[in-house]
Formats: sequence, structure tokens, C-alpha cells
Amino acid sequence: MERLVNIQNLMKVYGHHKSEQVAVLKDVSFSFAQGEIIGLIGASGAGKSTIGKILAGLEQPTNGHIDFDGTNLTALPSKERRKFAKHIAMIFQDPYESLSPRMTIEELVEEPLIIQRIEKNKEKRRDMVKEALRVVSLDPEKYMSRYPHELSGGERQRIGVARAFVCKPKLIIADEPTSMLDTSLRLELIQLLKSMNEQYGISYVFVTHDIALTKGFCDRIIVLHEGEIVDIGPTDDVIHAPTHPFTKSLIDALLLLEGAQP
Amino acid sequence: MRKSTKIIGAVGVGMFAVVLLFALFGPMVIPYDAYKQVGGSFLPPSAQHWLGTNDMGQDILAELAVGARTSLFIGMMTAILATLIGGFIGVLAGYIGGRFETFVMRVIDIVLTLPFLPLMIVVAVYIGPGVFTQIFVITLVLWAGKARQIRAQTLSIKSAGPVLAAKTMGASDFYIFRRHIIPGVFPLFIPQFVGSVNAAILMESSLSFLGMGDPTMKSWGSILYYANSRSGFLTDAWAWWIIPPGVCIVLVVLAFSFIGYYLEEKVNPRLGAYTVAPKRPKQHITTNEALVAHHIALRVENLTVQYPKNNAYTSVVSDVNFSVKEGEVLGIVGESGSGKSTVAAAIIQQLRGKAHVPTGSIYFEGQDVKQFSDEELRQLRGQQIGYIAQAAMNALNPVLSVERQLKEAIVAHAHVSKKEIDARIDEVLMQVGLEPKWRYAFSHELSGGMRQRVIIAMALINKPKFVIADEPTTGLDVIVQVEIIQLLRKLQQDMNLSMIFISHDLPAVLSITDRLIIMKYGHIVDFGPSRELAKTSTHPYTRRLIDAIPLLHPKKEQSYGATR
Amino acid sequence: MSRTFSTIGKKLFQYMLVLFVAITINFGLPRLAPGDPLLYFFDESTIRELTDVQRQDVLNSVGLGGSLWEQYISYLQGILTWDFGYSITYAQPVTAIIADKLGWTLLLVLPALLLSTLIGVMIGAYSAWNRGKGRDVTLLTTMLTFQAIPGFWIGMLFIAIFAVQLGWFPTYGAMSIVQDGTTWGYVKDVLWHLVLPVTTLSIATVGSNYLLTRSSMLESLGQDYMLMAEAKGVKKRTLIFNHGLRNALLPIYTQFTMALGSLIGGSVIVESVFSYPGIGRLLYESVVARDFPMLQGVFFMITLGVIAANILADITYPFIDPRAKSTTKKVQA
Repeated sequence: MERLVNIQNLMKVYGHHKSEQVAVLKDVSFSFAQGEIIGLIGASGAGKSTIGKILAGLEQPTNGHIDFDGTNLTALPSKERRKFAKHIAMIFQDPYESLSPRMTIEELVEEPLIIQRIEKNKEKRRDMVKEALRVVSLDPEKYMSRYPHELSGGERQRIGVARAFVCKPKLIIADEPTSMLDTSLRLELIQLLKSMNEQYGISYVFVTHDIALTKGFCDRIIVLHEGEIVDIGPTDDVIHAPTHPFTKSLIDALLLLEGAQP
Repeated sequence: MRKSTKIIGAVGVGMFAVVLLFALFGPMVIPYDAYKQVGGSFLPPSAQHWLGTNDMGQDILAELAVGARTSLFIGMMTAILATLIGGFIGVLAGYIGGRFETFVMRVIDIVLTLPFLPLMIVVAVYIGPGVFTQIFVITLVLWAGKARQIRAQTLSIKSAGPVLAAKTMGASDFYIFRRHIIPGVFPLFIPQFVGSVNAAILMESSLSFLGMGDPTMKSWGSILYYANSRSGFLTDAWAWWIIPPGVCIVLVVLAFSFIGYYLEEKVNPRLGAYTVAPKRPKQHITTNEALVAHHIALRVENLTVQYPKNNAYTSVVSDVNFSVKEGEVLGIVGESGSGKSTVAAAIIQQLRGKAHVPTGSIYFEGQDVKQFSDEELRQLRGQQIGYIAQAAMNALNPVLSVERQLKEAIVAHAHVSKKEIDARIDEVLMQVGLEPKWRYAFSHELSGGMRQRVIIAMALINKPKFVIADEPTTGLDVIVQVEIIQLLRKLQQDMNLSMIFISHDLPAVLSITDRLIIMKYGHIVDFGPSRELAKTSTHPYTRRLIDAIPLLHPKKEQSYGATR
Repeated sequence: MSRTFSTIGKKLFQYMLVLFVAITINFGLPRLAPGDPLLYFFDESTIRELTDVQRQDVLNSVGLGGSLWEQYISYLQGILTWDFGYSITYAQPVTAIIADKLGWTLLLVLPALLLSTLIGVMIGAYSAWNRGKGRDVTLLTTMLTFQAIPGFWIGMLFIAIFAVQLGWFPTYGAMSIVQDGTTWGYVKDVLWHLVLPVTTLSIATVGSNYLLTRSSMLESLGQDYMLMAEAKGVKKRTLIFNHGLRNALLPIYTQFTMALGSLIGGSVIVESVFSYPGIGRLLYESVVARDFPMLQGVFFMITLGVIAANILADITYPFIDPRAKSTTKKVQA
């Protein structure tokens, strides 16, 4: 498999004045191949979302570089960097507030195509939107002209997935996409993401606080604690043989809950 | 929205319409020239001169009509200018950010700190009285407040989901500005405009009253200026010379205040959360002896809770029945909208908003709490039933220390010495795993897990026998969640508490409860002993919930593969 | 700690800027305005009779001689030495006149401010607690109406009704010309003169206090901590005051201190209507009489008052909102 992303010595510091500075990421390095699904695990404040935001171009790293498909993203001027958004899309945590209430579903899913100037022809764009909606199992005829507030949480999150998919990206950053969904819908969304991975070879960086969700979905997981990688490896290996005390306590905590179940 | 709010809004629009018509058509209809002498001085109101005449023999009604044009023109004009200028600067500052924003905010701070009325007067004196002066000076004072508010709104749009999403799509700054910021901010200009009109008209009248108006043009303020400087209140003419212009000003300003109030209520949902609870008189309560005999701590019978929606009542909880035995832990599980938290609120009679309870009884130790008076309910809450809420940011009062909030819970139910209170606070903090020093802390100094512990301490400080825990682990990190559940389980066993544990998180509920209720859309769809239910339930919804639990060490291998 | 210092430093810097702007407005406006600057000080016929030398002398005496830069330096020197020049109408140092009038203004404005805040907060909280009931709607519309009434108009009506028609109160001034000589008589006389102006000012400002209290109280009442406190079974009084009003007080306190700042300048209108011998009336008089040194002095003093109130607000606010404190020693100890 080809190497898709190589992250080297990534660092992120917030705050201007020295006394107020907080290092959210301290020297993070990892890489993964096209088609691989990577889980980023950690407690709140561990820096897992920051990695996602840097990859999606929402944040600039303080230090370090990101190689994407042979291009060093961090060295690019912002205008060039923006063009990479067609290869790296993002799914947000909150399906309610990440969709503009003023836009129809068609306009929402179409937006990346317009921004990236992928297709000038309106009819062809519409076909691409329809295809994306079909991929996420939503009937285009039924949904295209509706507004987000008319949809349920699960449907909205599917719109978010369709919007991320419409440019046929190589990588999708999924930032806790299931945490605002009801339990019964989480599984469906993960199944959807998995099937898109199998059909189109899309890679994911799946950011979550729930290590159990990565099982059977992620190929490898990375456990972050206070801005550093404390565990990394194939999902089952990390779960069965965690090395770092934080990972151990995280898994112990979950097992305690599971232990009470039949 | 409340009916009274709508009426107030409509009255505002009506009042403004009346004044506007008067300004537009008044000068055409009234047969007198406002600037000419048309009769004797100080003529009282009559058929010829409806509002009499002033000292110069000018018809006051004609003056008012002409003055309406000036006052409205200046008021609307300044409001438009201030909103546009302030809005434009605010949007730019919020959007561009960086040094430009810092600079603009500094300027705004300075303008807002300057004493505005003296500033208006000083500036107006130097550029000389006149319509332009008034518009200039009032705009000078008003724009800064608008700029600050629009900037804040721009900032919130800028950091909101749709803009972030567009950024991840590689959108340019210009695209985001054109497609998201402008359409988002522009509707907010309208309430800003309405809010400025009344301020502008009041300022205009004050300036005119101080003689800063155009001496050749009549406005309501300048009519009063002349009435005052010629000591109009010493004559009998005050009644028709002074009252009508003032009434006109009040009418317009009030019209816009009413419209502004309506818009504020409509836009700001935070103001809508609170509603008055009706008074509950003392009444005779019969005790259901059968429940007491069977050691049933709580019995909920045929509970239905409805909320008004589109002129009809919709049930959030439908015909719910269950009991909690003494020392038993009952779990209520459901997804958002299942009505599980409404059940909790109904038990302690704290239903929010315009809840309507057509049927149902809630027996606590054999007595129906629905019949409790206000004082009986107060004694029930906190003393008999402890309520553990989700540790959301504002669950604790942000301006009172932990100590104060624990203390008031004690003194609400018992007369105890200061020493005993202190000892009890220390004790309960230790019980929930917090060092006593945290009693001095405020909510913002605590982590989420610590806040949840304080909330548990508050619920248990009076040693109630019954506890309702409403989503006590939501929003916490997994490790902290487990700590909280272990704490609750230990406290439940140590104190032999009866407990209702509500959560959408099935694993958390399974690990602590004896029995389980599954709710969906307000109905109980499944129930039974927890372990049995999880293992053997055949109800499709229960199965779906249980199968959706991701397991680290699953009994049967889980796979997300679509077809594998 | 260093953070607290830097925020205070930033604030002080901002106030210095405000003062600088006020000074510059004072300095710049008469010089920027078109026409002969002497027109601000004398009427045209007087100016025509002046010789060039006399003219120069006059310009020097009012600080308009020499280059702009020289004028500015001497102007700043004046401020630093607390010298604002001589009033044209009073022929006395500006500072002396201001000192003379300040007491009267405080006597009028402080009671009015306290009264309108107290009443506004009380009925605002009451109204919010009874939201949507008849008394809330009645209070709300009444207070919106109060807020819509221009202060000077209330004053005029009061004079016409209570002073002229009914003769209960004096029509103008702070005291009678003829005094009976006793201290008690003097105090009574001054209080008697205060009734109408204080009532006018209170009515003119009570509306905004009421509205602010009502809306911040409503916001506070809708918060989770209210439900929590109610679930603890605290008494109704504790619920309303310690939780509802206590949190609603934060914006009210800020508005109160701001009002304290605009206190001196805010009474221009009421003092003008009642010919009350305070700072506001002085400002208005100097406008009418084109007494520019006076005008500049008064405006400077008013700005100074605003800044003092702002500093007071910044220092005292952390005492009512613990979140404004940067560190908490007790917990760390």
C-alpha cells in the first residue's frame, strides 16, 4: 500500500504570551497508508481533535510537517493549501450546527464542488450530489430540496458524510461523528463509513474518546495523552496489550462497565 | 411565544403606523401653515384650531405635523446611518480580526466611555445647530454600540459550524464572507436598527430642546424648546402647548420599544426558559397504605405529560407505570426525546415550561406528590428525595462557593449550629471523594468530574432515602464516568438508597441497576431485571440498543463490515 | 498574578486614551471649526472695533495665539497644573466655579440614581418572577412608557402641574433667595427644592434599570442552577435572592457603576429645566453664552468623572463575580 500521510514532529501551542501558553500537541509523529483507518483516542484535552483540525486545514501547526501524498502541506502557501481540501474532507461532531440552516440539502452537498471548482455544469453537479446522497442511503428526490431542520439527527449526519464524500477525497477526518447521535444510530454510521472505505478506498482519521468504537472499524489506533502519543499499533493489539498506564486505565474502566453486562 | 408579547408587538407597529400617517399626510390635510401666524396668541383648542395656538399665534397641530416629519426623518436617518456604519465596521472587525480588530475595539471602547450627552453638546456647539449637526452627532454616539454587538455576532458566526465546514472545503476568505458571514449577519441589522430608532428620537428631542436643532425647522423637541424658553408652563396654554409634542415623542419611542421587545423575545431563546409555577394550596392527602406495606418507595401510575405544540397538546410521556422498592436501583434508559428526564422532573414536580399533566399519580411513600402544597414539596425536595443533575456548566451557581451551596441545602431543612454545618460539609465532601479544602472553590475552578461530585454531595447532604440521578455521567471522560458510577454504587450500598438512574448510556445503566425500563417516544417499551433484559429480551428496540453497544471483549465477534 | 497586572495596565492605558481624546476634542474643535475663532468669544461688532495688536492680545489670552503646536503645549500645561483658564461669563477661574457647582449636582443626582436603581431592581425582579402574569405585563408596559418619556418633558409637566398650578413646590433653583436663617430651615428649603428634580431624574432613568433587571433576572431564572437549587428544597426567598437575583446582579452592577460615571454629565437636561445650579446647568449655560474655557473645563471634568467610575467598577467587580478573579488563594493554600 502506498503511504498517504506522514506526520512528523507535529506541535501545537495556543496562546500568545509566554505565561498563558498551553502546548496541546508535543512532538507527534505517525504515518498511514491509503485505505487505512486510523483511530485517534484520548480524553478531552488530549489533543486528538487538534490533529484532525490541522489535517483538515482549520489550524496551523506551531511546528512540524505533514506530508500528504508526497506534498508537504505545511510548506504550501494558503491558496495552494486550500486546493488540497478536495482530497481531505471533514465530518463534524455536531450534525445540528455544522449545516447552515439557510441552505437546502442540495446546496449543502454541492458546496465543496463549487468551492473547489470541480464541475462548472450545474446539471453535472446535480448528478454528483445525487450520487453522494445515494452513497449515504438517502433518496435524492426526497431530500435535495429540503432544509436541515426538517431532518433527524441521524439524517443530518448522513448529509455531513455525503458532503465529505462528494469530492471523492482520499482522506476523511471524522471528528467524533457519533458522539451526538443516539446509541442505536452510531453503529449504522460506522457501518456506512466502513462500506465507503471498502468501496472507494477512502482513508479515515477517526477521532473518538470511546476506544470501544474503534474495534472492528479502525486498522490501527493511536492513544493520545496530554499531547503525546502513548500507545500506537493495530487496534486489537493495543486493546489486548496496552503498554501505557493511561491506556490501561482507559481499558480497565471500559471493562469494568462491560463486566457488569451479561 | 406568549400572547402578550405578540399583542405588544402589534400595538407597537400600530402606533408607529399612526404617527407615520400623521407625518406623511398631516401637513397636506391641516389647512394652516405651521410657520405663519394664523390666529391670536394662546388660543385654546377649538373647532378651528384643534390643539389651539402658541404665543406667536401658530397652529399647534400644524406644528406637530411638520415637526413629525423632522423628528422622524432625523430619528430614522441616524438609526440607519448608525446601524449601517456600526454594522459595517463591526462585521469587518469581527471577520478580519488581528490588529485591525484590536484597533477598532479600542476606538469603540473609547467612544463608549466618553460621556455621550456632554460630548454631543460640545460637538454640536462647534459645528453649529442644524439637522446635519444632529444627525452627525447622534450617529457619532450610536454607531459604537452597534459595531460592538454586530462584531460579537460576526465572531460567533465565524466560529460556527457552517464556516468551519466551508474552510475544510478549501473556501477562500472572500467566499466565506460573501456566502456565510453576510447572509448570517444581515438579518441581525434589523433589531439593531429598531433599537437605535427610539434612542435616536429621544436624543434628537433632547438636543432640540437644548437649542441645537435647526432654528428654521420645527421638530417636536424644538416646539418644547420654545415653550420652555418662553416659560410656556407659566401660562394656561401649557396644557395644549407642552403636552401634545411630548405625547408624540412618547408614542414613537414607545412604538419602537414595543417592536424591539417583540423582536428580542423572538430572537433570544434564553429568556423563554422560565415560566411561573402555579400556586399549590394545602390539601388533605390520603396515604395509600398498600404501597407502604409492600415497601414501595415510589409508585408512578398512568403518568402522562404533555406540552403545547401548534395549538395542541403533544404527549412527551404517555401512560407510564413503574415502582421502585426500598433499596432498589431502577434504571430508565432511552434516547433523546424518549421522555426519561421528564419522568424525573415529574417525580419532584419540577416540570419546566407549560407542562400539562392530564393523568397520573406519583406516590412517594404512599402519598401522591401531585397533591402536595408548595411547602410540603419544598420539604420533600432535598430532604426526602435527592436530585443529581448532569454536571453541565451551569448546574452549580457560578457566583456562590461550594460551601454556600451545600450550607443552604442544610439550613433549608434543619436548624443546626454553625459547627454542625461545618462538620456535615466536611463529611459529605469526603464521602464523594473531595478534599474538604474544595468547599471554598467556585464552579469555574472545578473539573467536570469534580463538579459532578459536588452535585452528588448537594443531593446527599440531608441524607435522603431516595435519589434520582439524571444523566450523571453524560459529558464526562470515560475514566471519570466509571469513577462516578462506582461512587454512586458505593453510596447507594452504604446508605441503602432507593435510586432511579436515568441515562442514554446503556452500559453505565446496566452496571448499576437492579431493574430496567426502556423508554421510546414517551412510552415504556420494555422492562425487567437488568441482566435478564440485556440477555434475553426479544423486543426489537431493546435488542437494537444492546447490540449497538461497542464491546472491547465481545462475547461474539462484532464486525462493522457491511457484507462480510 | 502577572495576568491581572497586564489587564489592569491595558485598562489604564485605555482610560488615558479616553482622556487624551477628550482633551483633543476640547483643543481641536474650536481650532478646526471654520470662521474667525474670535467669533466664539465676542460678537461681530466687538471684533470689528479691535486693532490688530488688541486682536493678537485677545487671541493669546484665550490660548489661540502662536502656532498650533505652541498652543497645544500650553494647553496641556494648563491641564497638568489644574488650570483651565478663566470663565468669560463668570470672570473667575473655571476650576473654582466647577468646585462650587459640583456639590449641588451630587445632591441631585446621587439620590435619584439610588432611588431609580433600587426601585428598578426591585420591580424588575418582581416582574420577572411573575413573568407573563397580568402584573408583569402591566409593569412592563408602564416601564417601557417611562423609558420613552423624555426627561425634560416630565420636568416641564411637573413644573406646570405641581409648581405653577398647585403651588406645592418651587418652580426653579436649589434654594430660596430669602432664608429664615436657621440650619433646619435651610435643609428643609434645599430638600423642598430637590423633590421635583430628583423625581424627574428618577422617572427618566428607572425604566432602563427595570428592563435590565427583568431581562437578566429572566435569563438567570432559566438556568440549570435554579432547578438544582429548587431540587435542594431551599426556601423561596433563597431561591429568588441568592440564586436568581444574585446572578442577575452582575450586569446591573456594571450599569450602576457606569451610571455613576455619567452622573455629572447626565443631569444637563434636568438641571436646565429646573434652573438647578449644578454642573449640567453650567455646561448648558456655557453653551448658550459661548463661554469656551468654561465649556472645555466642564467637559474635561465630566470625562474625568466617567473614568474614575470605570476604574472603580474594574476594581470592585471581582468582589461580586468570583469568575473575574484570576487566582483563588484559598483553594491553593
